Amino acid sequence: MPEVTYREAVRDALGAAMRSDDRVFIMGEDIAEMGGSMGVTQGLLDEFGPERVRNTPISEMAIVGAGIGAAMAGMRPVVEIMYEDFLTLSLEQIVNQAAKHRYMSGGQLTVPLTIRTQGGAGWSPGAQHAQQLEAWLVHIPGLKVAYPSTPEDVRGLLWTAIYDDNPVVLFEHRLLYPVKGEVPDELEPIPFGKARVVREGTDVTVIAIGPLVHRALDAANQAEAEGISVEIVDPRTLQPLDEDTLVESVKKTNRAVVAHEAVTRMGFGAEVTAVLQHRAFDWLDAPIERVGAKFAPLAFAPVMEQYVVPHAGDVLAAIKRTVGK
Amino acid sequence: MGEDTLREFLRDMLLIRRFEEKVEERFRAGDLPGFLHVAIGQEAVAVGVSHAMEDDDIFASTHRAHGHTLARGTHPNAVMAELYGKVEGCSHGYGGSMHLYDIERGNYGANAVIGGGLPAVTGAGLAFKMRNEPRVAVAFFGDGATNIGTFHESLNLAQLWQTKTLFVCENNHWAESTPGWQHSPVWDDMSKRALAFDMHSLKVDGQDVEAVYAAAQEALDHARSGRGPVFLDVETYRMHGHYIGDPQVYRSKEDRQDAADHDPIVRLRERLGLSDEEFDELDRQAHETVDAALAFAQNGTDPAPEDALKNVYA
Amino acid sequence: MASEVKLPRLGQGMESGTVNKWLKSEGDQVAKGEPLFEVDTDKVTQEVESDFDGVLLKIVLSSGEAPVGQTIAWIGQAGEEVAEANVSAPEPKAAEPEPRPVQAKPVEDPMPTSSANGRIKASPLARRLARERGIDLHALQGTGPEGRIVARDVEGAQARPAAPAAPVPSGEVESISLTNIRKTIARRLTAAWQAPVFQLTVSADMSRANDLVAKARELSPDVRVTVTDVLAKVCAQALMRHRDVNVQYSDDALLRFPTANVGIAVAAPQGLVVPVLRSVERQSLAEVAAARGEVVSKARDNKLTTQDLEDGTFTISNLGMFGVEQFVAVINPPQAAILAVGATVDAPVARDGQVVVRPMLTMTLTVDHRAVDGAAGADFLRTVKQFVEDPALAL
Repeated sequence: MPEVTYREAVRDALGAAMRSDDRVFIMGEDIAEMGGSMGVTQGLLDEFGPERVRNTPISEMAIVGAGIGAAMAGMRPVVEIMYEDFLTLSLEQIVNQAAKHRYMSGGQLTVPLTIRTQGGAGWSPGAQHAQQLEAWLVHIPGLKVAYPSTPEDVRGLLWTAIYDDNPVVLFEHRLLYPVKGEVPDELEPIPFGKARVVREGTDVTVIAIGPLVHRALDAANQAEAEGISVEIVDPRTLQPLDEDTLVESVKKTNRAVVAHEAVTRMGFGAEVTAVLQHRAFDWLDAPIERVGAKFAPLAFAPVMEQYVVPHAGDVLAAIKRTVGK
Repeated sequence: MGEDTLREFLRDMLLIRRFEEKVEERFRAGDLPGFLHVAIGQEAVAVGVSHAMEDDDIFASTHRAHGHTLARGTHPNAVMAELYGKVEGCSHGYGGSMHLYDIERGNYGANAVIGGGLPAVTGAGLAFKMRNEPRVAVAFFGDGATNIGTFHESLNLAQLWQTKTLFVCENNHWAESTPGWQHSPVWDDMSKRALAFDMHSLKVDGQDVEAVYAAAQEALDHARSGRGPVFLDVETYRMHGHYIGDPQVYRSKEDRQDAADHDPIVRLRERLGLSDEEFDELDRQAHETVDAALAFAQNGTDPAPEDALKNVYA
Repeated sequence: MASEVKLPRLGQGMESGTVNKWLKSEGDQVAKGEPLFEVDTDKVTQEVESDFDGVLLKIVLSSGEAPVGQTIAWIGQAGEEVAEANVSAPEPKAAEPEPRPVQAKPVEDPMPTSSANGRIKASPLARRLARERGIDLHALQGTGPEGRIVARDVEGAQARPAAPAAPVPSGEVESISLTNIRKTIARRLTAAWQAPVFQLTVSADMSRANDLVAKARELSPDVRVTVTDVLAKVCAQALMRHRDVNVQYSDDALLRFPTANVGIAVAAPQGLVVPVLRSVERQSLAEVAAARGEVVSKARDNKLTTQDLEDGTFTISNLGMFGVEQFVAVINPPQAAILAVGATVDAPVARDGQVVVRPMLTMTLTVDHRAVDGAAGADFLRTVKQFVEDPALAL
């Protein structure tokens, strides 16, 4: 199986979809000649031309809203919001329009729109270029939310997002773009609502998303050296959520840690924790631990930024708390 | 323009007028739930533009959507049933007065967020352009919407990409309770907004249905032929309040009288030179249709409460 | 200004109590000293008298548990308003009794698995396993974070040799919720079990003691003197002679008491209680019998007060009335010794080379070895035997 970077995997899915389907086109800020601020769409302009690789003005409302209109009119647009911090500008369109047209019309309309965005700390961009806001969107009925952590997952999930008849917000992480991983020779769609057991273990389950999947893997290897067997489960899509796989794993290990880079308070982990306490209450042998960013904006100074966001050590500490070590 | 066509316009305008009057009556009687807004006085805009549209064209409306929806041919029964929250409603009870939809007739949704529908109409116009289809996406909105970000972002993008879009600005000089002069530096000439985007614009008297129809046809041809989007600046009058029950404490008697003096129905009747008998017969038919719609809606089917969980996802 | 009725501290070590019921209703006139409500502490159920004259304006806690010092009602003038904001936070110091220099601090074995209010800290999984396997979490020590009982603790308990399962009769298992008294019994006896103890057994000829009882009943027909009274009296005398047995062990000191307060174990309807007869060495047999009669009937009527139960230095447990000939009692912490008394039975004994039948009583002394050495215990028991066989020596 070939090994590609996360960035290449995103590009691969976009290119494959556009190659096989005229309805698919992409738009966003700086995605054409520049190839996107993260280099994801490099080369696509040359292959597909400016009609289907559309550089937009800096207009987040119009980018998403035009995507909504094109989707309702029969296209399958993929729009890029350069940073998820800027997603806040288009929230009206996402929350009131994309998520609700199907509902308000009593099922007459569909909005097959994919919104790609990225964020994440670790390179000192400051408070307006690195937030993790996935939880905001999981809260909105009518939206689907994906947060792939590996090249294989992002390729398969992006394809599924493009062909889903609902608006999908797909989160990528800045630090994951250069991460390499094997992908199948042929692009294989990955269904939504199917979690992936990243690593099997018996003592504690870490439910992690995005970059925390990788940090949890580091933590699990360290824990193993201390005799703690860690299972890692990546939900991959936050809405729909594969509750069954999460609950099954926790029923096996009896302990759980939820981990994401977003702020802990009201983060996605809070929802997972609620699901687990409800569906696996009698199997829990320790309080569910949460790992996430501390309750502060992201500071510029690298030492402060690193203090706020969670690391492998935080996951390891949480793992140990669950087993009482 | 032939007299038969104008009579057809009058029929539609009367239907809209009597429909909205009935809605006001039933709302005041406590019969109708929700938040309702009528466009009494603006019937000529809805009818003129709608009749100029082709079957495959689509449009997005606002919170004041009864007229646009009826003018595009959605049955009054389905519109009234929607206002009553019935399954037979044009949005099957999921939308209500501010969210009337009828995809078969190109109604892609009435939007209750000011300016909320403009980006989508731009995107639909982009799709028509990309697919080389002879279709136009039409946005209805008021003067109040010209101050919101989506308006500027949408007009900019539409002109930049030459989408097949028609922006119909119904300038009734009121943004809810705020008069035009308090909310916009170009309140008395909204077409100046289009200048900023180098967009083709047309100006028309919105109380003259014949003129509206002609201007809309020209604008639609322009957009349909790929020559770019058009901004249609329509001067009109809101004869009633912002919402049903609005005491209009902010509005002078003179201003209300001025609006009443610009009734597009009176004007069309004079244009056609109708006798009282002729007019009364048309009016009677409109009343009959509205009464039938009311009976239909009142006898409609309530959705099952748990249907609230349907249609969240495709 | 209305006065707050606070949950009183009815004895040292009492952190909380459960209001059972109110003896007055809202709006009733209440006189100072009148019984106001009933509290179930970890020791007794007790009536609490009003500290105030006035009208019972509002009952804040009609029933249920509350910490000591929490406002549970208001008494004031008729019609007086009681603001919600007046419901004040507990003031744990408010009801502290005056210091008692000789009173030993109760040596409560710290139970890491339960918090102050007796709630067990256990994980949901541990609870489920315990439920499924019929294991009592009270008996387990938690090894999880903060002393929590976790699954491995329950699994460990399972691994220990269990008593052979009795055949279970068909029918539903009845679940009877634990009273505070039952919880206290369980906790204290579990703590007692952790003290290193030894037992000593003697048999005594009861001929003279029985004569004494008969004579005393003749002299004081309204006071029913029993063998237990004789035993209480002779034990008190023996304790005064062997002061090193009238002691309690605590972490920092051995406490030796100047007087013999003898507790009598009573099987009351609500569970085992041990009312205390005070300074028994100074009382006549009839006085002992009268005092014993009073506390036992109070115990049977569930009317004991905290004072009735405090300050014991020694305990007698008599199961003779059930025909039990001999048994071993569990010490009553923090006391250092308990005497288990069986039934008096006619038994053949050797007297002057002849086998004769005598009324014999077997007594077993259980002693906290941390406080009392074997020889000291044996010496004490020998004195008890002498006194029982010849009560005159004790008088």
